[in-house]
Amino acid sequence: MHIWDGPISPAVCAAAGAVSLGCVAYSLRRVEQGLGTRTVPLTAMVAALVFAGQMVNFPTGVGAVSGHLMGGVLAAALVGPWAGCIAMTLVLLVQWAMFADGGMLSLGVNVLHMAVLGSLGGYALYSFVRNRFADSLRGSVIASVVASWVVVTAAAALFCLEFALSTPGKDLGTLFALMMSVHSVIGVGEALMTGGIIGFVARRAPELLYVPERASSTATGVGRVAVVGLLCAMVMAGFLSPFASEFPDGLEYVGRKMGFDELDSAPALMLDDYAIPGLSKRPGWERISVAVAGIGGTLSVVAIALGMGRLLTRKHAYANEPSSE
Amino acid sequence: MAADPPASRFSDCARLVAVLALVVVGMLIPLESWPALGLLICAVLAGHALAGVPVRYLARRFAFFLPFIGLLAVSVPLSFGFRGGWDIACSILLRSVLSFLAALWLVWILPFPRMLKALRRLGVPAVCIAIMTLMQRYLVVLWEELDTLRKARAARTIGPESLLDRWRGACQTIGILLIRSVRRGERIHAAMAARGWDGTPKSFEWTPSEAQRDED
Repeated sequence: MHIWDGPISPAVCAAAGAVSLGCVAYSLRRVEQGLGTRTVPLTAMVAALVFAGQMVNFPTGVGAVSGHLMGGVLAAALVGPWAGCIAMTLVLLVQWAMFADGGMLSLGVNVLHMAVLGSLGGYALYSFVRNRFADSLRGSVIASVVASWVVVTAAAALFCLEFALSTPGKDLGTLFALMMSVHSVIGVGEALMTGGIIGFVARRAPELLYVPERASSTATGVGRVAVVGLLCAMVMAGFLSPFASEFPDGLEYVGRKMGFDELDSAPALMLDDYAIPGLSKRPGWERISVAVAGIGGTLSVVAIALGMGRLLTRKHAYANEPSSE
Repeated sequence: MAADPPASRFSDCARLVAVLALVVVGMLIPLESWPALGLLICAVLAGHALAGVPVRYLARRFAFFLPFIGLLAVSVPLSFGFRGGWDIACSILLRSVLSFLAALWLVWILPFPRMLKALRRLGVPAVCIAIMTLMQRYLVVLWEELDTLRKARAARTIGPESLLDRWRGACQTIGILLIRSVRRGERIHAAMAARGWDGTPKSFEWTPSEAQRDED
């Protein structure tokens, strides 16, 4: 899911890079507070693990096409959000520095998608969902499935926004519908992989899953809910954008009437029509595809989460392992 | 991996910054002046020739790179019903190729330890450099471990597997790798702590002799 230096303009790259830099710098401070002397060896190991895990192929059943793990939620579930963010950032940096994978300028964009959204955002949702369950292991599996799908689709929605800001004045609605549909499926794959791996670890070595100290978990409660809300809003904006109004909204209409041409030349910056710029005269299939992808993705993720959770508790009881809580 | 004579006169940091500048310039050139983009790509290719990058290596990397970027580029005209959007597709392709070629050149010229040193000079925190240094060493170990797991699995698997089995197998492979490697990380931390590690990376600045040794 690397983005190379082509679709995103340097200005957007710079903005995304600035956001990423801030989040990574803050994460670095939090990691050193939390992990102490274990920061370097443990974060490096998790980063190397994500890197190696990305080499394992998951066949799709369609010819020779295979997918692989992205691992943002997995890393955060292992070492917590802050170390997870650092690990994912450094995976991206090393992939660029060793193999020229992913663009140089768009490194900030990739970090924003996979480390900031993937680990920080993913962990917020993961812990939010996990805390709803009394059985923390079952909660971990269900939460990792849900968080993985949401993170992938939210990253796709974010990419659409960045792409729209980079190519102003084009009607890209159909492309975004295509993008969201494809990434809904990819997200289901990522959810299956992450859920499978977390389920395996929860059965074999549950002590490896990250459990925050009580104090820190309550301190960030409000922030976590805000992040969860933001993530859900991004996913909904992504899936709902093709259904947004075809008519120009009031401000834009008045602008056109009064001849403000600059309003036409910079629609992307205004995010008009509620979600993603450039919405008009859309063929019907993309609405159908994005609706199917959105609803189907949500339903299948819920089904996978509950199924994997049930599978875990059954095997869990069979193995007669003591519950951790 | 010998650096080419003309480029070796510049410092590693300068090369990194130069490549970054080249990529930025490439992205700022509008598509209307595509010959300029083409010239830049030719210039980078000339750099590859000077650095002695094998054509087969380039071809292999492009075989991985082109399907991804090509798919993204083609999906733009596709969404216009192939009635437009070719300009966006072309600009995505040209700029991506330029950036990828430039990064490949840099990666070829700068082996990883020197790249890390240059990144440190450019202001990447020492902790991150330390993590990446360890990561490089762990990676070799984990790849070996992954290979062992694959072989063991292949040896125990008889006959064709269903898609579900293969997914479950891949999840288990990563799961086992995860458990082993996180525990290994804990052991390494204990060993480091026993040798006086206090969490501050002091010894991740290379002396020239060490850099030379790392390169070999």
